Amino acid sequence: MEKGKISSLQMAIMIYPTIVATAILGVPAITAKYAKNDLWLSPVLASFIGFVTVYIVHQLHKLFPNQTVIQFSEQIMGKVGGKMLGFLFLFFYIPNIGQLIRSYGEFIVDSFLIKTPISLVMGSMVLLCAFVVNGGIEVLGRVAELFFPILIIGLIILITLLSPDFEFKNIFPMFEGGIMPSIKGAIVPSAWFTEFFLLIFLLPFLADQEKGMKYGMMSVFAVMMTLVVVNLSVYFVLGETTSSKVYPVMNAVRYISLADFFDNLESVTMALWILGAFVKISVFYYVAALGTAQWLNLSDYRPVIWPLGILFVEFSFWSFPSAMETSRYDIIAFPIYGFLMQTVIPLFLLVIAVVRKRLGKKSKLS
Amino acid sequence: MMRWGAFFATTVIVALIIIFQWPKIKQNSKKDKLAFFMLLLIGWVLSMFDLPNMAGPTTWIEALFKPFGKFMEQ
Repeated sequence: MEKGKISSLQMAIMIYPTIVATAILGVPAITAKYAKNDLWLSPVLASFIGFVTVYIVHQLHKLFPNQTVIQFSEQIMGKVGGKMLGFLFLFFYIPNIGQLIRSYGEFIVDSFLIKTPISLVMGSMVLLCAFVVNGGIEVLGRVAELFFPILIIGLIILITLLSPDFEFKNIFPMFEGGIMPSIKGAIVPSAWFTEFFLLIFLLPFLADQEKGMKYGMMSVFAVMMTLVVVNLSVYFVLGETTSSKVYPVMNAVRYISLADFFDNLESVTMALWILGAFVKISVFYYVAALGTAQWLNLSDYRPVIWPLGILFVEFSFWSFPSAMETSRYDIIAFPIYGFLMQTVIPLFLLVIAVVRKRLGKKSKLS
Repeated sequence: MMRWGAFFATTVIVALIIIFQWPKIKQNSKKDKLAFFMLLLIGWVLSMFDLPNMAGPTTWIEALFKPFGKFMEQ
């Protein structure tokens, strides 16, 4: 099905924008709504879920080194149970990608291409991602490798340029309402950290599998640090108003004005962000195509790429009458749904697999 | 209510996908071809509905986790 190989570094570079891209868009505002000025702690707390998820993924991968979750759940749960579970995963990922593409489209249409129909914005992105996915995992790895440095350096430059506007006193007094607000603020970002479960679809294609866990953990740490820095920078600039913004990073960037030359860097920010979103949607697209093909026992995932693209665009509209409904889903359903599908169910799978393996060994010995 | 624009656009896209992909898929197994056409058919049929105002997977999920949603919106 997939003959390409990637390195574990490439894997880490692919998964980093996959989590960060959308997590720095609206999530700082949502976190600020619950955690107020303690919003910097929430990503740290949320990253715990990320570390746990990567650990579970790695343990599952050790038991079934050459298979993705769609394949090995059949071995753990039996033919029928495995297929049902596989369906649940596809039923989770395909609408999730739709919602993701819609968030992308709403951001672009809302901030920049005000007169462009949103279906065109989303459709062109899906088209582009479909070409990448068609190239296979190696192309995906190289695309991520190409854009990753631009994304990181761009982010560092933007934050540096923004630093003259920092009001450090904004985050004081710390822990005025105890630690509970930061914990509640961690719920939504934790949903992004559960997405590290996507690694289960990438690990079988690593050329250096023994390093997978190390790079996965490093990636979680990098995402956590990025979110802490972004949340802090935004709050230093916007203060209490952070929670009322839809895209707080964009609002913060508008404050940049250096020597009357570096002005209006919103467009640069958007360009950087699109690079991240492009990698993110491509990784999700690849996982969905690979998963669907494995679930249907096809010989290749390429026949389902284009039909899935249509479904993604349809799911981006389905039951989302407005932009508000789309972003509300991230708060009221995605955190628990994502946690259940990407951390709890994998944990159950792992427990069952380990227990069955132990029982199997015992019966062989006696 | 049908949204004719979306339906016609989808029809054209489905046709284009078949035209461009058929030469590549021709040599694949029967199962691959079946999956390809079934998924296209699902996409095409879905385009006939007024999706934004129709209950779908995300509505079901929101309903399923309603207590959680209430907790988050407090």
